[in-house]
Amino acid sequence: MVAIDEAVFLDGPPCVVVDRVKMTYKVPSSIERSTSTRKGIRGSLRKLLGRENLVTVSALKELSLVVERGESVGIIGRNGSGKSTLMKLISGQAAPTDGAVYASSTPVLLGVHAALVPDLSGDQNVVLGCLAMGMDMDEIDQRFESIVEVSGLDSAIYLPMKSYSSGMASRLRFAIAAAVNPEILLVDEALNTGDAQFNDRSKARMDELRAQAGCVFIVSHSLDTIRNMCTRVIWLDKGELIMDGSSEETTNLYQEFSSNLSKGNNITAARIRDEARANLVATQIMERSSGRRMEGR
Amino acid sequence: MSAKKAKLPPPAAIQPMSVDMRKLSRVGSRPGFLDYLVRLWDYRQFIFYDARARVQTGTRKDRLGSAWLLLNPVFNGLTYYVIFGMLLNTSGGIENFIGYLIVGIFMFQFSSGAITEGARSIRNGKSVVQAFNFPRAALPLGANIRELLSSVPLVLGMLLLIVVLPPAEKISWHWVLIVPALLLQFIFNLGIGMILARIISIAHDVTHLLPFAIRAWMYGSAVFYSYERFVHEPTLLAIMKFNPLFNVIDIVRSCVLYDRVPAWESWATLAVVSLAALLVGFIFFWRGEETYGRD
Repeated sequence: MVAIDEAVFLDGPPCVVVDRVKMTYKVPSSIERSTSTRKGIRGSLRKLLGRENLVTVSALKELSLVVERGESVGIIGRNGSGKSTLMKLISGQAAPTDGAVYASSTPVLLGVHAALVPDLSGDQNVVLGCLAMGMDMDEIDQRFESIVEVSGLDSAIYLPMKSYSSGMASRLRFAIAAAVNPEILLVDEALNTGDAQFNDRSKARMDELRAQAGCVFIVSHSLDTIRNMCTRVIWLDKGELIMDGSSEETTNLYQEFSSNLSKGNNITAARIRDEARANLVATQIMERSSGRRMEGR
Repeated sequence: MSAKKAKLPPPAAIQPMSVDMRKLSRVGSRPGFLDYLVRLWDYRQFIFYDARARVQTGTRKDRLGSAWLLLNPVFNGLTYYVIFGMLLNTSGGIENFIGYLIVGIFMFQFSSGAITEGARSIRNGKSVVQAFNFPRAALPLGANIRELLSSVPLVLGMLLLIVVLPPAEKISWHWVLIVPALLLQFIFNLGIGMILARIISIAHDVTHLLPFAIRAWMYGSAVFYSYERFVHEPTLLAIMKFNPLFNVIDIVRSCVLYDRVPAWESWATLAVVSLAALLVGFIFFWRGEETYGRD
């Protein structure tokens, strides 16, 4: 590993800076440990309290990134590689265990996970969701029609949300989340939950949003989507950054990796990954508080 | 599989990158206290819409709908009338005992409901908290406004019972004083609700203790009987009179049942304790702003 002395100098303020972010979870595990070190009274007490086995899961190892205006960044990786964790950290839905994420404005995560209030009707949820995003009543009145149109719910919008099918609910959530034009947009996969008609509508709205946004992050399992939409692609594996490069290069290498993996060539796959990792140039953020280039470098 | 377990090679190089961070702010960071209050004010439409929508839908499953907002407290009061007024026929030497009891129970119900709702608001609104980025104090505040709105039929039902049930009281201008008393009670409920909301978001176990604490508090608030009958220790009595709920109930009883202006000491104690609870609640809640909705 080489430490490069010459610092790269970024002129304008970037959109998103991920500075040495790390994420670990502590979760209870149902595995019975045969060689449990906690026997006797303390062990039984922990059992009684329901926390016998707490396992630390490292969802994301230390990671630094700088994303500039105009970039669309795709994030790829296998299940459990930390893609969604990274998205949650950037959007502020989760706090990193270590490090911090800085952004030029509030990032908006477009996903279908944003649950609303099931007892209220669809239209009440639209108003509530828009108010929660900081819109005012006049703006909501203007946008209401288009939100309902994107959701494709028609008159079902006046029914309580708990009567919706999961597809209808996720369409409504998407439509609400997509009602604002954010500068920093995050898109989590699973957008292809609706029918074909909705997919067209949501894709149209997505394209509009992407065109207006300053920078975009996209998580998807579809490499075609990533190739079409992104200028830069990040490959994560088990919480480690493997590769950070152009869309074409990264997706091709990842495709090779996953096709080897599905054929059972684990050793070849691991070699591809290790080689990619060995060529990675990681970033180290140096905070600069003055606008001018530092002298003496 | 052994190849997979092997350690990843380190990156080829580490590239330092000089970044202008002045225009960036940390994602999800907590604003200063005054900025926080301003942001909360910006979200007032959200708070009111949330409160109003939920009051209306709270009884949507029932055939009689919103009528239950009034019927509920009326039936509640009638139950106590039947048990204490007709079956047991105990007054404990209190003038208009039924009225005394009804005021105590109804005013207590407002606080216990509001504090419970406020305390659980962050947990109950977890999905909204995770989906949107707004000052979290909007949730306990919304829950308390919701409870204040539904306290209107509660208080109307209470006054109705007091006028109808024997010995019937006459309506007087003193009844107007219920309004400031209720507002001070609202402030107190909000402060306590916010403190509990943060505690519950740290240790959810506290929700199980809440009903017991509230019940104990009810017996300590002279809902069923007067302090003077049971507490003879003067210092203990003085301490118990600091209980803001006791003061609210005392104020409303004075206005409604005994047709006199409530003692200024009751007002002073209630105002000081309520405002202190609100201030402490807000600051305590604000300090935990970054932690809500996260597991």
